[in-house]
Amino acid sequence: MSPVLIAALPFLGALLAGLAARAGRTAVMLAAGLCTAAALAGLIGHWPAVAQGAPVTAAFDWLPQIGLEAAFRIDGLAMMFAGMILGIGILILIYARYYMGETEDFARFIVYLMLFQGAMTGIVLSDNLLLLLVSWELTSLTSFLLIGWWRDASEARQGARMALAVTAGGGLALMGGLLILGKIAGTFSISGLAARAETIQASPAFLPALILILLGAFTKSAQFPFHFWLPRAMAAPTPVSAYLHSATMVKAGLFLMARLWPVLAGGWEWTAIVATTGLLTMVIAAKIAFFQDDMKALLAYSTVSHLGLITFLLGLGTEPAALAAMVHILAHASFKAALFLTAGIVDHETGTRRLSRLGGLARVMPLTFAVAAVASLSMAGVPPLAGFLSKEMALEEAAHATVFGLPWLVALIATIGAAWSVGYSLRFLVHGFLGRPRGDMAELPHDPGAGLLIPPMILAALTAMGGILPMQLLAPLADVAASAVTGLPVHGHLALWHGLESAALWMSLAAFGAGIAFLALWPSLSAMFEAAPKLDAKRIYDAVIGTITRLAGRIDTQVHDGNPVRSFALAIPAMVAVGLWAFLGASHLPGDRAVLSPHPASLIGWAVLMLATLIAAIVHRARLFALLLTAAVGLVLALAYAVLSAPDLALTQISVEVVATLLMLLALSLLPRITPAETPWPTRLRDAVIAAAAGIGIAALALSIMLRGPAFPPISIFHWAQSKPGAGGTNAVNTIIVDFRGYDTYGEITVLGIAALVIFAMATALLSNRRALARLRRHDTGGNSGDPHPQIVEIAVRFLLPLALVVALYIFLRGHNLPGGGFVAGLVVAIGLLLQYIASGFAWVEMRRRLSPHALIGAGILVATGTGAVAWGFGRPFLTSAHGHVVLPVIGDIELASAAAFDLGVFLCVLGAVVLAIAALARLGAATTDGEEEEG
Amino acid sequence: MEYLVASAIGLMTATGVYLILRRRTFPVILGLTFLSHAVNLFIFSSGRLKMAAPPIVGRVAESSDPLPQALVLTAIVISFGMTAVIVLMAVGARFGTGDDRVAPEREAP
Amino acid sequence: MNHWIIAPVVLPAVLGAATVLGGSLSHSPALHRTWPRAITLAGSLALLGVALLLFAEASAGPPQVYRLGDWPAPFGIVLVLDRLSALMLVLTAILGVIGLVQVIVTGADRRGAHFHALWMFQLMGLNGAFLTGDAFNLFVFFEVMLIASYGLMVHGAGGERLRAGLHYVAVNLVGSSLFLIALAMVYGVTGTLNMADLAVKVPALPAGDFALIRVAAVLMVMVFALKGALVPLQFWLPGTYAHAPGVVAALFAVLTKVGVYAAIRAGTLMFPAEAPAIGPILTELLWPAALVTLLLGAAAVPGAGTLARLAAFATISSTGLAFAAVAGFAAEGLTAGLYYVIHSILASALLFLIADLCALRGAERLDGGTPRLPGFLAVLFFASAIASAGLPPLSGFLGKLLILEAGIDAAALLYPVVLVGSFLLILGFARAGSALFWRASGEQAEPLPARAYLAPAALVLLMAALTIWAGPVTGWLAETAAAVTDPAAYIAANALESLP
Repeated sequence: MSPVLIAALPFLGALLAGLAARAGRTAVMLAAGLCTAAALAGLIGHWPAVAQGAPVTAAFDWLPQIGLEAAFRIDGLAMMFAGMILGIGILILIYARYYMGETEDFARFIVYLMLFQGAMTGIVLSDNLLLLLVSWELTSLTSFLLIGWWRDASEARQGARMALAVTAGGGLALMGGLLILGKIAGTFSISGLAARAETIQASPAFLPALILILLGAFTKSAQFPFHFWLPRAMAAPTPVSAYLHSATMVKAGLFLMARLWPVLAGGWEWTAIVATTGLLTMVIAAKIAFFQDDMKALLAYSTVSHLGLITFLLGLGTEPAALAAMVHILAHASFKAALFLTAGIVDHETGTRRLSRLGGLARVMPLTFAVAAVASLSMAGVPPLAGFLSKEMALEEAAHATVFGLPWLVALIATIGAAWSVGYSLRFLVHGFLGRPRGDMAELPHDPGAGLLIPPMILAALTAMGGILPMQLLAPLADVAASAVTGLPVHGHLALWHGLESAALWMSLAAFGAGIAFLALWPSLSAMFEAAPKLDAKRIYDAVIGTITRLAGRIDTQVHDGNPVRSFALAIPAMVAVGLWAFLGASHLPGDRAVLSPHPASLIGWAVLMLATLIAAIVHRARLFALLLTAAVGLVLALAYAVLSAPDLALTQISVEVVATLLMLLALSLLPRITPAETPWPTRLRDAVIAAAAGIGIAALALSIMLRGPAFPPISIFHWAQSKPGAGGTNAVNTIIVDFRGYDTYGEITVLGIAALVIFAMATALLSNRRALARLRRHDTGGNSGDPHPQIVEIAVRFLLPLALVVALYIFLRGHNLPGGGFVAGLVVAIGLLLQYIASGFAWVEMRRRLSPHALIGAGILVATGTGAVAWGFGRPFLTSAHGHVVLPVIGDIELASAAAFDLGVFLCVLGAVVLAIAALARLGAATTDGEEEEG
Repeated sequence: MEYLVASAIGLMTATGVYLILRRRTFPVILGLTFLSHAVNLFIFSSGRLKMAAPPIVGRVAESSDPLPQALVLTAIVISFGMTAVIVLMAVGARFGTGDDRVAPEREAP
Repeated sequence: MNHWIIAPVVLPAVLGAATVLGGSLSHSPALHRTWPRAITLAGSLALLGVALLLFAEASAGPPQVYRLGDWPAPFGIVLVLDRLSALMLVLTAILGVIGLVQVIVTGADRRGAHFHALWMFQLMGLNGAFLTGDAFNLFVFFEVMLIASYGLMVHGAGGERLRAGLHYVAVNLVGSSLFLIALAMVYGVTGTLNMADLAVKVPALPAGDFALIRVAAVLMVMVFALKGALVPLQFWLPGTYAHAPGVVAALFAVLTKVGVYAAIRAGTLMFPAEAPAIGPILTELLWPAALVTLLLGAAAVPGAGTLARLAAFATISSTGLAFAAVAGFAAEGLTAGLYYVIHSILASALLFLIADLCALRGAERLDGGTPRLPGFLAVLFFASAIASAGLPPLSGFLGKLLILEAGIDAAALLYPVVLVGSFLLILGFARAGSALFWRASGEQAEPLPARAYLAPAALVLLMAALTIWAGPVTGWLAETAAAVTDPAAYIAANALESLP
């Protein structure tokens, strides 16, 4: 079976399990179980080859650009781990089938479990660092879901988040490390790395890479000081604890270290970091485990301790140590999973896992007790069980290890660890099952059904047999695994008895003595332990996370409180600063263009403009006055344009100014008259400084441009030259607007049209909002919106409208050759209508308004588009114009360009937009107090 | 002349910036108007200044640069549309929230 | 000349106008309710078709130019269809369709007037911005895009939403002013507005003009940075996106990326680093801002008050990463950056859609006690969280890998920033998910109709596809990046004429 398929089968299992949800729990279990079994069978099928040391591989490209290849490789190490994952997986599935409550969503649980199984299989089978990384993070995610399974329990939620934070965080470190590793190795293929070990370890980037990778491994395998998440992960259902958090996932870190052993091990850094961490973890966790009350917590810490031991062995970096590590991984997987499952049974049957409330179960649950006994004695390292065998090997290595030039130090620490380990193993057994019951059981517990009992029995049997027939059961697998790790053929001699000269024997005897003594002294020891001050890693974690969350909350609510003042107060200085920075960074020659001498009239205009602008800034709180000043500035500006030979601009500026000012007047009647003084003078000073900086900057830029010629002849020379011959108009500005750059205008009128639609929509929404409407009714416009309309004005204004229309027509038609055009024409008509409204109020206009402004806008855009589209008929691009002569009375000979039709679109759109905008404001005005009377 | 235009651009920008830094919607709108006045004049000035040379073919041999004028026209129209929208937003916000502040009042921490 | 190139602009314009006109002419309310939906849905699908067609053409051949009004470049305005613009067109069209489906399903369009017209004009503005080859015309279509977005953002009004809208509009008006100033300077110094012409003329500028053109360049790029919400120009985004209707915020996912797109055009075409006047200044400007943005956005995620705001900050962070990738304007970074842009558009759109669905079921705030939400919503959220936090197996993770591998030589700084940022995102999404879906109060929220999951599921599938076919996609993007970094073909396509 292709390794790809083996890796894929668990995911298929997840899918099938999900589909089988309706068919019942057994069906779900079978669907998942059969896929697992199939994968296992496929794996075993490769045993002959792998046993010969010939790995099986399969690969296909995924993201070759970064060397991410879906490459799978089954060698001894992969075989051993995948075997554990799938084998134990089957047992767990059976167990879970009977363990999970009837009310649980079993199918979803199994889906998660299978997804995890797939991710885990992916880790051990992948031959590509990045693929491994993908699977690695997937295990973190699935583990998150499984720990948080009982989502209503807060410790489940917290445990899940903590596990994710630590393991996925470590995963990120791993990501960094692997990327660096890949960069210095020049490949992400794991099997390709070994050959480059020297170059890699020689690189200066090696140490950072190593540290980052080890961070990933240590967090995943709960090594000190990242061990604290594992006990909290015990909030998960027991099958999860047994599967993820003792047998498989937490061993991913070990796997990684074993996998990269040929590349990373050998140097002093490796041994210094890995062996030390492992040893510390082993002894610290073993001690803590001894004092746990919750069975699962005890097992969790003991798991941490055993993981530490294996880490230590890998850290030693020698072949025998690697072999010992492999053997212990196998042994630990068997007895620890069995113990978790028994703990689950006890919990399931008695309703508690607290050793202080248990005891005496041996009599009522003999079978469970038998399993627990075998497994925990194996954990304690009692011959002839597998645990003894592997521990002996481990201690033997410890005995020969020398750190800091102290030959006995490691041996001593290891022995202490072993002693604690004996202690908690016996405690699990004795306090749990022997003596007389301490807690009061509701009804007498009994052995569970076969479904719960058989899986741990099988595991217990394995751990027993492994010890009795090591060469047949353990050695073959351990050998190929160790060979795969070290890259050298390893043939360990596994036996229970190594003779009296083996240091390990005496060390474990000492450990037994001490361990039994610990248990005997339990009451006083536990009292001491409780009394002793403990540094709780969880509290540190909580503090850190708490701070992060608090700061994050501040950034959300306080820094981003939606105040535009902050936006501007930071953005504008930034713009000025960046501009200055860019300017100073390069050469600049002041221009040599001759300066125009201003004639007195323009001097006066300038003075007026400056004065009005300045006063507006100072007295802006008097809104009406400030608005009038703004309008005045706009008008002076129009004059300036006229003087500076831009008649079209002048015309447009004036008409826009009028309309805009009227709009704002209407708006002002719906807003407070006065801006309250609410900024203290330092703020105002700050704002003034910002404003001055921006002003000076812009002025300087404008000046430096006006005083120099363009570096290259501007494209407008073409427009000027082609205006008449090309675009058929003598008004170059107009020909640019409707022809050369008609597309800009096309966009521009769309903007105007949309603006009107937005305004209309807002007004409608506002009027349909009860609270807003109530406020609106309460608002007193001070008579602005509904003042009595003197007859004369009304009449006069009504005559104005036809006049406006005529003027508009005139402006429109001459536009192509002389200042004018559709835009201004539209505004003129609009102003006519606007005056109607001012003079005679909203109702009148509403009554008289012939055409819906919506239609005008729509039509305008369509007309403009249509004119542009005509060109397609002639195979020319959008907006291509044509022109010819037409003689009209009064106006005389005009050259009518198809662009004029386009200009008509502009006219309609502008008219519609302005009218719609005004109507919207008018409707709001009509909703106010005096507006009401107006309508009544 | 150039100096007059430049100084006008500068002062209108400054006023505009100062006003958009206020706490109420209306001054902000006025500020944006001043800003667009300044920007329009700036665009116009990028065609360099010329007197008595309207870009009408036949009227003058050497005209002022018509392109920036056309760009300013576009800019004027667009900024007019934008102003209209923001004006109504201001009115809407004032009746929707009950005040015309640019940002909801934050209780002092 | 290939007239399809103008279709992405004209088609939505006509349909938008048609819905308005029809709405005002027809008087049957039934028609009023149904036909805008029909028109815009058909229109969005048609746009997708056109976009795919143009995409195929762009991938097959060199850039194509469309001369509006048949005036030669640089004197008239041209549209340029190249691989990059085609890609953005497709992304816009996809979001246009998916978003509209969700709009119709959730009835978001019924809460105010003219929604569909605005939707069309929004697409018009985006497409116009992506297609244009003229700097000033880019400004014009930015405005089309913006004004439509204002309308969509305040759709259905509501006081605080309008206030947030005011902030959004005001900030963008300042941005537009800055854009105009930059454009005026560009014209004043070089005498041209056509992008390809700038690519020719900016490098040829005399030393005396260096300082001015540099100022023009940085100011213009700051406008794009404002659209992309780079620090310190990001304050407007959370309020705007969080107050906007969820479906609209989803469409806005493209708007921030317009900033990235325009910045790429600036850095590779209009103001290339090869030009002696410009040099590495744009990179020096964008790079630090991008990193800070990435961190700031991520730093707010673990404490965000509502899911919508969380989504907004996640968007800020992702835009920061995208900018960081492209800031160097080198082929490798652009390839990675573009892949990430595709991903993050899909991812943040998905997140906003889910936030909207949660809100529909009374779950907005992230301090728990929300009603028990439908299980499938939880699945979708989990997927979007994985995507947004950049975890495997979805495309965010691959995008991150691509960027890290591309940026690895450029700056060792990228590593810690990206990793820390990702960590914060993981924390934040874990908190949000646990608060929304685990720490739920007793009562069960009423289930959502299956069709409500259509659009989000589609987005998830798209990201899955982006992951599975990452190889081919990246290959295509690599070619695109190569073409972008060497604009010779782009310039040639413009067939620039010199003055007689």
